[in-house]
Amino acid sequence: MKLDVVHDLQSVYRKLVDSTSRPGLISDLGKEAALLDGENAAGCSRSLLLLALTLLDPEVTFKVYGSEAEAVEGEINQLTFAKAVQADQADYLFLLKDAGAGYLEHAIENANPGTFANPHKSAVIIAETGAITEGDNLLLSGPGIQTKIGINVELAGDWIEKRNEKNREYPTGVDLVFVDRNHQLLSLPRTTQITESREVEKEWVM
Amino acid sequence: MINAYNFAFFDEGSKREIRRATLKAIALPGYQVPFASREMPIGRGWGTGGLQLTLSLIGREDVLKVIDQGSDESVNAVSIKKLVSDTTGVQITEHTSQATIIQSRHRIPEVPLKKEQILVLQVPLPEPLRYFESSEHETKKLHAEKEYSGAWLMLFEQIMKYGSMTTGADHPVMVHGRYVMAPSPIPRFDNPKMDENEALILLGAGREKKIYAVPPFTRIVSLDFEDYPFEKESFDGKCCRLCGSEGVFLDELIDEATGEVYYQCNDTSYCYEILNKDEKAGVN
Repeated sequence: MKLDVVHDLQSVYRKLVDSTSRPGLISDLGKEAALLDGENAAGCSRSLLLLALTLLDPEVTFKVYGSEAEAVEGEINQLTFAKAVQADQADYLFLLKDAGAGYLEHAIENANPGTFANPHKSAVIIAETGAITEGDNLLLSGPGIQTKIGINVELAGDWIEKRNEKNREYPTGVDLVFVDRNHQLLSLPRTTQITESREVEKEWVM
Repeated sequence: MINAYNFAFFDEGSKREIRRATLKAIALPGYQVPFASREMPIGRGWGTGGLQLTLSLIGREDVLKVIDQGSDESVNAVSIKKLVSDTTGVQITEHTSQATIIQSRHRIPEVPLKKEQILVLQVPLPEPLRYFESSEHETKKLHAEKEYSGAWLMLFEQIMKYGSMTTGADHPVMVHGRYVMAPSPIPRFDNPKMDENEALILLGAGREKKIYAVPPFTRIVSLDFEDYPFEKESFDGKCCRLCGSEGVFLDELIDEATGEVYYQCNDTSYCYEILNKDEKAGVN
């Protein structure tokens, strides 16, 4: 079976809508990713490529971080005709799994946060992460979440702090989308508040 | 299904552009994201914003319901349903609870929305500040600075002139404590339904080229004053003459022959559902 750019990408988009409107809801891109088999020569995961195919075209720009960045940029450009640019000008920033420690923080810091008049011109960061599962390491709250929802993401570093800093002056900020090796998708729009459960415990003791 | 067109009428590039704007709108509740509103086979101002959202969302598995001011059978609703079903072949329903996408003009259905549903509202005038500021450049600045005294002043002037807030429909709301938003011309009766709603609500203005959104479980507060609290239309002591429902939005009608005033459910499919349920019970 080959990926159908009309129907399969529509279903990827709807999952992205579901996950973005209900942060913490994990969507499974496995079915669509399986259809991409054999089409992906570059070094990025199939779910990352699916998101690129869903969102990118010549009207937007992007940047890839990772050891295979150039090859992946070439591949995405060929498939979508979107232009690869510097991080601070990119509409979409893609982080490959092997980008290494500190790259997500770097991307968050450099990404375009938009302006108060035009917050929609901000960047979206799409990153490959370790396993995304239900859990309680990170507690999410905000629009789309009834009270609180727990989530586990295998991702080291102080990206949460960097993200808080970047999103401090709402409505400016960046939106994050995570995908893992099993094609599980998590979306963290800027309105979502993330609390590490360690901090919750600390508060509890106090 | 007409195969001369791409699935869901649009080319994939148009859908992608609407989709990108929609995702940004969800990430910025209440903020109006500009988009390149496409030419449609229906006139601008006739639901093209909602229709573009619907077409960018819809997939083969979806079940669509379209209502126009509470009615499934008005000309506008029927034309939109026809266009979508002709170009997608999706199933059409009148039952609110069975639909996955509900496109609506000027009403939020009486049946509470569910998690799996998306409500798409058609918006004629997305800018809540337009009444007192005609320049788009200026209103954008006012939103950027969260400078909403004009919106309050508008309501204040209504109270001074008429003794109460006279926004019949489209009463402005504050979204997530940040943006003042036009909820589209839904009656005040429907404003509280938006608050902490289970479903995602997307609003599209085709002529004004704006998309905005209210994610599920988002705080929506209708603008009001401490001494003049927001009030929805009251139908105390009135009920639908067909199904007898109370506590729903009723249309006031006058029997031309007798001059008698009577009331009827505005949401026709809700009314039918109640009537059909009663009938079944009667036969058994």
